[in-house]
Amino acid sequence: MMGLFMLLIFSPGPVSAQEEVTSKIYRYRERVATGYYEGYEVSPRRARAILETPGVKRGLVPFGRSASAVRTRTRLPDSHRGLNFYERSTCIECHPEQARNLHSVRAGITCRQCHGPEPIPAINHYYSPMNLIRRHAYVCSKCHEGANSGFAGFYVHEPPGTSLSTLKSFPSLFYTSWGMLLLLVGTLAFFVPHALMVGLRELLEKTKVPQNLTKKLGLFIRNAIMAGLRKRFMNTKPSKNETEDAP
Amino acid sequence: MLLKRFSKTQRLFHLFLMLTFLIQSGTGFSRLFITTDFGRSLSSLFGGYEMAIVIHFWTGMVMMAGFGVHVVYLLKRINRRNVLDSLLGPDSLVLGPQDAQHLFKRILWTAGLGSPPRLDRWAYWEKFDYWAVFWGLPLLAVTGIMLRFPLLTTLILPGWVLNIAALLHRAEAILAASFIFIVHFFIGHIRPFSFPMNEAMFSGSVHLEEVLKEKPAWVERLKQEGKLEFMITKPPAPWYRVVYFIFGYIALGFGIYILVNGIIYGRYIQLH
Repeated sequence: MMGLFMLLIFSPGPVSAQEEVTSKIYRYRERVATGYYEGYEVSPRRARAILETPGVKRGLVPFGRSASAVRTRTRLPDSHRGLNFYERSTCIECHPEQARNLHSVRAGITCRQCHGPEPIPAINHYYSPMNLIRRHAYVCSKCHEGANSGFAGFYVHEPPGTSLSTLKSFPSLFYTSWGMLLLLVGTLAFFVPHALMVGLRELLEKTKVPQNLTKKLGLFIRNAIMAGLRKRFMNTKPSKNETEDAP
Repeated sequence: MLLKRFSKTQRLFHLFLMLTFLIQSGTGFSRLFITTDFGRSLSSLFGGYEMAIVIHFWTGMVMMAGFGVHVVYLLKRINRRNVLDSLLGPDSLVLGPQDAQHLFKRILWTAGLGSPPRLDRWAYWEKFDYWAVFWGLPLLAVTGIMLRFPLLTTLILPGWVLNIAALLHRAEAILAASFIFIVHFFIGHIRPFSFPMNEAMFSGSVHLEEVLKEKPAWVERLKQEGKLEFMITKPPAPWYRVVYFIFGYIALGFGIYILVNGIIYGRYIQLH
């Protein structure tokens, strides 16, 4: 067990992606791929390469006649095609949420370092370097030596965990966020008032506040609650004892 | 008169956990808040952003090794001839139905209704403190190792698991730090019964009058079993008291520094 543990710590990371990238087969010269399925490209295990047009499914082949008419920007070879005044805009003007990610905040990585220069291909365009079948080799490996296709499945621009829209886009993140939030709030909401109440009670005892005063205060609170409940639900007046008990 | 409460081994475990937890909090929060002035000044204490993660990782490894040793210690403490008594007896830290009763009674007592619960050796909040480590530490360790070795992790698991691991690691760390720096420190230092400091975990002993006040059932049991006389111990040396008072207050100050700055700068950070 110790041997395995030491091996886990000291063994170097896998370098499969580097080995694959050094393939002598024709290399991409453009940002948008040529269409060759090269040796280093891998079939994503859990994420399918995007082939279908959203909402259009006919028969076994998920393409239809209307496919060419559909303009889904995440599937275009130039994702910003036809946008007015695009040349004068910056990425953050239209994508402010996407700029708030750990890669840009912590490592100072700019949008174009991953998304490439113009024309920026859509991330789901089949021949885009950002497509999951080659993202590990073309994008992640620039900094993460040995990145594999599973690694490329990390959400760099992950949605806000507690947002309702995340339930559809990233349900496990949504449930984890709410679970941890409830655990944090629940634990503190119970133990902080509990500790403060105990502290207050001990303070009252230490400063030698007469015992009967705290008792009377307790009885007063209890009677007030009971009287309120009776009035609300039973429509009866408080008993004589309760009114006498109150200070 | 002083009553022995913790053995040397138990105090060493606490000291170990205290030191490693403070280092983990310092290095971890310095990384989490690195985009703020607080994070940058905290990380400079640990040699900067990159060095902080190295210290964080290795301290985590030492922490886990200590946790493993503690589990072995715990298993060795179980009396094999009477396993049930070891696990569910009054000296056990396992939570039982009487703890729910004590909690309910204590809440009523704080509201001025009824007498305080007659606690035995371990109070329910002490048991919660103890067991919280058992689910917090493994969770932090597993997610921490996943984040430290993302390439190995994603050879087996999909990449989005790292998003979840990062969220779990940070949220659990914030929960642990908030609980220790608010609730545990309040109970250990600030509440009138313990003020200025609950020395039991450092000296290993408590005043009999204090135990009679808070845990009368324990003293009664010791009397009945005829063990009370053997539990009487000597007070700690004055120099030792000075050392642990200074150490305890440094820890308290460090915790409050992290807590206050964490609240102030919390809006500038992302949890995942």
